[in-house]
Amino acid sequence: MKDFSVINKRLPRVDAWSKVTGEARYAADLSMPNMLYAVLFQSPLAHAKILNIDTSAAKKIVGVKDIVTYKEAGTIRYGVSPARYDETMFCYDKVRYVGDEIAAVAAIDFETAMEAASLIKVDYEELPFYLNVFDAIKEGAVPIHDDYPNNIGAEVHQEFGNVEDAFKECDYIRTDRFVNKKQDGGFLEPQACLAYYDMNGNLTLYTSTQTPHYVQRTVSMVLNIPIGKVRVVKPYVGGGFGPKASANTIELAASLLSMRTGRPVKMVMNREQVFMHSRGRHQFYHELTTGVKKDGTIHALKNTCYLDGGAYSSFGIATVYYAGSLLGAPYRLPNMKYDGYRVYTNKPACGAQRGHGGVAARAAWEQQLDIIAGELGIDPIEFRLKNVREKGEVTCNDFNLSSFGMKECLEAIRDRSDWKNKKGKLPKGKGIGVACGFFVSGAGYPIYRSETFHSTAMIKLSEDGGTVELYTAAAEIGQGSDTVLTMMAAEALGVRYEDVKIYSGDTDFGVDLGAYSSRQTLMSGHAVKQAAEDVKRQVLEVLSKRLNIPVEDMDIKDGYIVFKKGPVDFSGIRSYYIKEHRGWAEQPSDDRLTFKEAARIAYIERGTIVSTGAYKPGELGGKYKGATVGTSPAYGCSAQIVEVTVDMETGKVTVDKMTDAHDCGFAINRTNVEGQMQGSLSMGLGEALFEEVKFDEKGRVANPTFGEYRIPTALDMPNVNTIIIESDEPNGPFGAKEVGEGAIMPTIPAILNAIYDAVGVRIDELPVTSERLYNAIKEKERKK
Amino acid sequence: MKRLINLIVNNKAYEIAVAPNRTLTQILREDLNLLGTKEGCGIGDCGACTVILNGRPVNSCLVLAVQANGCNIQTIEGVADGNNLHPIQEAFVEYGAIQCGFCTPGMVLSAKSLLEKNPKPTEMEIREAISGNLCRCTGYQKIVEAIQAASKKMKKK
Amino acid sequence: MLLLPRFDYEEPKDLSEACKILAGLKGNGKIIAGGTDLLVNMKKGLVSPSCLVSIGRIPGLSEIEPQNSSIFIGSNLIVAKLTEFALIRKRYPMLYEAASVLGSPLIRNRATIGGNIVTARPAADLPPPLIAMGAKIKLKNKRGEREIELEKFFKGPGETIIKQDEILTGIILDEPPMFSGGSYIKLGHRKALEIAIVAVASFITLDKPDGIIVDAKVILSSVAPKAIHAVSAEKTLIGEKPTNKLIEKAANLASGDCTPIDDIRGSAEYRCAMVEVLTKRTLTAALKQAKKSR
Repeated sequence: MKDFSVINKRLPRVDAWSKVTGEARYAADLSMPNMLYAVLFQSPLAHAKILNIDTSAAKKIVGVKDIVTYKEAGTIRYGVSPARYDETMFCYDKVRYVGDEIAAVAAIDFETAMEAASLIKVDYEELPFYLNVFDAIKEGAVPIHDDYPNNIGAEVHQEFGNVEDAFKECDYIRTDRFVNKKQDGGFLEPQACLAYYDMNGNLTLYTSTQTPHYVQRTVSMVLNIPIGKVRVVKPYVGGGFGPKASANTIELAASLLSMRTGRPVKMVMNREQVFMHSRGRHQFYHELTTGVKKDGTIHALKNTCYLDGGAYSSFGIATVYYAGSLLGAPYRLPNMKYDGYRVYTNKPACGAQRGHGGVAARAAWEQQLDIIAGELGIDPIEFRLKNVREKGEVTCNDFNLSSFGMKECLEAIRDRSDWKNKKGKLPKGKGIGVACGFFVSGAGYPIYRSETFHSTAMIKLSEDGGTVELYTAAAEIGQGSDTVLTMMAAEALGVRYEDVKIYSGDTDFGVDLGAYSSRQTLMSGHAVKQAAEDVKRQVLEVLSKRLNIPVEDMDIKDGYIVFKKGPVDFSGIRSYYIKEHRGWAEQPSDDRLTFKEAARIAYIERGTIVSTGAYKPGELGGKYKGATVGTSPAYGCSAQIVEVTVDMETGKVTVDKMTDAHDCGFAINRTNVEGQMQGSLSMGLGEALFEEVKFDEKGRVANPTFGEYRIPTALDMPNVNTIIIESDEPNGPFGAKEVGEGAIMPTIPAILNAIYDAVGVRIDELPVTSERLYNAIKEKERKK
Repeated sequence: MKRLINLIVNNKAYEIAVAPNRTLTQILREDLNLLGTKEGCGIGDCGACTVILNGRPVNSCLVLAVQANGCNIQTIEGVADGNNLHPIQEAFVEYGAIQCGFCTPGMVLSAKSLLEKNPKPTEMEIREAISGNLCRCTGYQKIVEAIQAASKKMKKK
Repeated sequence: MLLLPRFDYEEPKDLSEACKILAGLKGNGKIIAGGTDLLVNMKKGLVSPSCLVSIGRIPGLSEIEPQNSSIFIGSNLIVAKLTEFALIRKRYPMLYEAASVLGSPLIRNRATIGGNIVTARPAADLPPPLIAMGAKIKLKNKRGEREIELEKFFKGPGETIIKQDEILTGIILDEPPMFSGGSYIKLGHRKALEIAIVAVASFITLDKPDGIIVDAKVILSSVAPKAIHAVSAEKTLIGEKPTNKLIEKAANLASGDCTPIDDIRGSAEYRCAMVEVLTKRTLTAALKQAKKSR
């Protein structure tokens, strides 16, 4: 392995100091002189025609500065995928879920705005509403969107190989059903934003988002402002996990209100509104039929899935593809058929969430594979090892596994968890289970059709040569992109970590599609690396001229110029630099030529040294319909072993131990990689055991609090034995690929398989509450 | 009607006129500009607004500012000594206990309060002490490791 | 951001002033102690009292006072202190157990014992052990003071017999008898920040270490509009020599004594089943303790 100075180490995050002292500013922390506060007025009904909106009483409240509805906002449609633009800033013809936005009020303070909003009166004509998929698609159901009379907003039909023929060649076939529940992102920071439209016609929007670029495009389109006049700035963001990956109503409303009032406008969601806005994990109903040969070879998979999409499409068109396309990949599966239906219902819209589209499918299938291995009498790890793909293979749906450490992951967890002495040998009530995971490392295509670069980066050197300024529009949302991009810039350029200053998350700094689909390290990393290498080239070129040494005989490392062919007399440069910088701090004094001196020379010669980098994936596989969802420049994979204790009398599950191996290609920052793994597992544990957004009979979120929507506490989550596998991805910068989402994939099925090992029951519905497991245990006892 | 209250915040005395319906979170953030105290839920479910009130960590979103009259309050801004981080903060930085950072101020304050009462906590005691502070990013492991490391570091001093 | 509605605020210096203010408010006021329940309900818009009367500055309400054969716990004492006083842990371990699983450490640093009683939540953690141990409470108004048994205080969810002008000033707990023991177990989803799906507090007294059960209290929580006695379980236990079989029988009867509902946290059926499990476990733990106690 190459010798690196900065990357592959355990460096502290670049933002750690500002976050640990409370200095870090998030959107809700921002304010501006003369700022107004705005709030939303939202629908109390799940499905109704709007007959009349009366804002007259609200307008009379002293301190109210503006009220906007569709009349002021217009009805330009937007959404995530242009093929399904089905949202407007405010409802005009009807409301489609409890929480659908009807108006926004701007006032001198929050209290006044709230009071005024409570006085808005809307006359509705109630319509039948549908809180589950199967009611919504029934014959005669009222369409939620006129364009989709049967309430199916998107459907996918794919077949690779020939599944029906393949089943005939199988020795063992089984069908299982599985359902999860609608899940919330559970990020700690509610969405917030501050918009300011200035006298020059420039809109600046500070917002808690994962995707400044997409927000910029949406705001520009909906408010009809040229893109160049819209600047979206992402301050620190308190987590996103998917739901913050598209434009939301408060961003649009605050911008509109600022344009109309000429004053800065701030909006902040409360926690209930976060649950209502949602865009979190869909509810998936999977039916999987898998056929294997008696030696354990997986031969065919038929996957049918219904997704409860909620009232709007959001990312759903991608979700419905992912729920099929990601499933087979880690295994040598030659025949795969998928039929997916995303259905509109009168609930908050679902979208992307960590492990987009694939988490429920993976849980369902990895449990089914466990059952099959059991039926065939093969150890579940051996069964998987027999079937897993290796580097260089191409899946039946054309995913090119350019690096793939699946086997290494499985072997590592097997050896590090004492699997052989535990599987099937633990006392009743204790169990161990295994599962694998798979995910993309960046979507191969942007969400809108375009030849755009996916990431750009710019580097500028300070005039004294001592500081490297990195500008990127990549979105640090907590996952650590600022840190790994800084590290990659430092490594590629040959300077120290602390010499690089990063400016990120601002659309004025370039184009970056943002933090979703686990793309920042690979894609933004490529752009940054390219920019850094270009700066290096520029500095060395100037130096080459000055010292009369060929560029290829020099390098830059750890902030020093390396002369490959022995010592060089650089005293001229040294004395020149000192003369140029008389009286300045940190004059070079050691016996090596510093990068700083060289960079100063370059500046004197060429003016400000600036470089850019840009990345988009090359030609990716797949010519079939829908191939754009799932194809990626690289794929991450993982395997996990979970040990649980089940209280046989109450059904309560305690996760005792987790051993997780993840192939991230190459760890840019080892601590961060582990952090992503541990955080993913925690979210997976929550989804497996606790998390479910519930609705009452009127379609209102019944548990819009962290008290009743339970994400794991420190007492629920065990320590994880985290194992990093590095397979050196040829399409990744320095060999790196994803870890942020793929890591969640094996957690739920590993827990389910461990529960089976402990108590001998299979659970096909999440979350595994103590009651659900208790009932299953009792059911099994009754059948005996 | 507004009330006049006196607070000592991070060792500094303040006299503030407040309406009774304003919470301590609001006063700290809006009147004193101490924006490190976050509001994640507003109803005591998440711990992002944790401050130390007369020696005890509390959800400041569930304390009326008027109730805090005469109290001694420490927020995240008062933990470091100038440019010198507190050992708990140093450990959070070093051990990777921070991701999005929104829970971090509250976590640090709960940890600080724990170590002041119990300088050598067990892992379970640490987990118990931060069980009112939700973190969605880290899975808590590196937070626990950081608190353990800080405990060792503080003992040596 | 969640805002509180507007209200007036009073901060009486002593009990008689507090009583006077409350009487003057004629039911439009509410007492605020820790505020962990009241302020949440106010932020959610469920209640909007015109005035909050803080009892935080009234001397004597935030202490534990050991008396001859009992202790007096001031109503404004925070729950965290119940977990810190050695006396509580030693003499009333069941109360310690319940206090240490209430909400979270942050909540316990604000929530008060009085608040956990007066709000009359069917799933509140402290009433079950207090009722099991025969706690009495003191209620005071302008005209005087009365002392009643805690179990007679509750009417239903959020409803008690407290009068508009009365203040709960404290809880009186007698010293537990010789050869007695108690246990509280709460079943929740998570290990913290939980409201009970079901909780049971059991308290039994033996005549001698290996003797018969002379008194038994089995209090079921979260399975009825208020914490209730498992009457038939208690009857079965009293006068008998404790055996595993007896405990199982009592546990089984207890599940017939409750009247739970289906709600967001669990179904009635599951709750009944869990009453049996938790009754068995709490009785077993209580018995073990009773045999050891002095």
